[in-house]
Amino acid sequence: MAPGAVLPRLLGAGEGPGVARAAGAPPGRGGGRGRALSPRDAGPACSPPLRPDLSARILSEPLKHADFFNVKELFSVRSLFNARVHLGHKAGCRHRFMEPYIFGSRLGQDIIDLEQTATHLQLALNFTAHVAFRGGIILFVSRARQFSHLIESTAWSCGEYAHTRYFKGGLLTNAPLLLGPRVRLPDLVIFLHTLNNVFEPHVAVRDAAKMNIPTVGIVDTNCNPCLITYPVPGNDDSPPAVQLFCQLFHTVVTRAKEKRRQLEALHRLQGAPGPHPADPTAPGAPSPGAQAGLGVDHSP
Amino acid sequence: MAGSRLETVGSIFTRTRDLIRAGVLKEKPLWFDIYNAFPPLREPVFRRPRLRYGKAKSPTQDIFYHEDQIRAVQQLFFTPFLATIYNWRFSLWCSVFSRKFYSAYGSGPKAFELFNPNFKSTCQRFVEKYIELQKLGETDEEKLFVEAGKALLVEGVILRRVEKARTQQEGSQVPQKSESMGVESQTALEENPPLNEVPQAQHLEAPGEELKGLSPP
Repeated sequence: MAPGAVLPRLLGAGEGPGVARAAGAPPGRGGGRGRALSPRDAGPACSPPLRPDLSARILSEPLKHADFFNVKELFSVRSLFNARVHLGHKAGCRHRFMEPYIFGSRLGQDIIDLEQTATHLQLALNFTAHVAFRGGIILFVSRARQFSHLIESTAWSCGEYAHTRYFKGGLLTNAPLLLGPRVRLPDLVIFLHTLNNVFEPHVAVRDAAKMNIPTVGIVDTNCNPCLITYPVPGNDDSPPAVQLFCQLFHTVVTRAKEKRRQLEALHRLQGAPGPHPADPTAPGAPSPGAQAGLGVDHSP
Repeated sequence: MAGSRLETVGSIFTRTRDLIRAGVLKEKPLWFDIYNAFPPLREPVFRRPRLRYGKAKSPTQDIFYHEDQIRAVQQLFFTPFLATIYNWRFSLWCSVFSRKFYSAYGSGPKAFELFNPNFKSTCQRFVEKYIELQKLGETDEEKLFVEAGKALLVEGVILRRVEKARTQQEGSQVPQKSESMGVESQTALEENPPLNEVPQAQHLEAPGEELKGLSPP
């Protein structure tokens, strides 16, 4: 598991860059072992690497701001309410460790406290953005068949990975055997559904904790939030809620990658140390420091 | 690359930090600095879910509004199972009032449109009228109930009393149908003989409810 490889090889590379697919192919194709190159490989690896001090500066800059990627503006308590994120399961299904996050119980149905959800969601989105900014591999995991297509297409469109099929034991803990030697494991696992189809905690929650991989997870009132690094208490059963979360993660990851490309381009142009940090609130706006930057072309 | 697979011992952060400090893990993982800068609200330490024993109850509270007293929870605590969910004091108090919207009129003439976020059901309009009249100074609940119903009638909403079709003696029962009030107050308690078996209901029937003297079949 050498992380120094320039081209991360998450799965066996047997096909060209045009045939990129989300990881975790259906079981008919050899038991969950997909063969695909990631969409990320056909991207910015073409440009020459930056000088180490500049790249260190790029990496350290976002950590100094409280909300570098401005994730707060992407949602509000009202938008969470409209997407029915506050609806939990019945009181009998309640997990003991979810009680701090529950506002109350209305006629037997648990209502999740959206103020707390907003805080947790902001932390989770911020963490995701920073991981994406640093070029981390993100894996979306869910075992809900109703949303499996949505999650796979979200992951595909933001250039990350998804695993919404049967999770083979040892996929994370025994990766060299199952996926091939020198495989880079994900740097972040995002759970849209923490439970599997028999209402038990998904194996990947425990496995990610074992492999010291941070996790972000949407925890409903019947889930165990203990092992999840950044839990987000919320509804994981209603389509509007899951669509909202998918859209939020997608926006955040795309925004972070775009920001990274901009900052790298900026530093490359300026060459010398001491660049102006790009305006954190407008990732799409042209940065003030670029002088000869009219011909800058961002690689897609 | 070294690592620690003890997910039940500390959090991923504490384990990684200690491995780095000990010099076993040579490289900082990608997420380490981010976690350091933005730690979660609760450290993700493993906890074993334990059952609650004895009289320990979960601290989650029921959510009730003042309007619920008008809407009426009365029919619900007839089933002993559901009665346990409610705070028993509230349901006791609630049952003292015979005039409740849902027990008298069912869910109302208009179907509930759940896709519309600003939907106002008949019950909600009734409740709003009731509160308006209450603010004007009226205190007697029965009168308020009647007046609110009349106000709705003026607006064109016709409220039909619910036929209690559960018992065999339905045919011999005093007619309750027809539009609106002005009809004798009949509690839902009277209509269902099985209710008499519920001790709570029985206890509450006593204080001044006018029984129609129905004999069980």
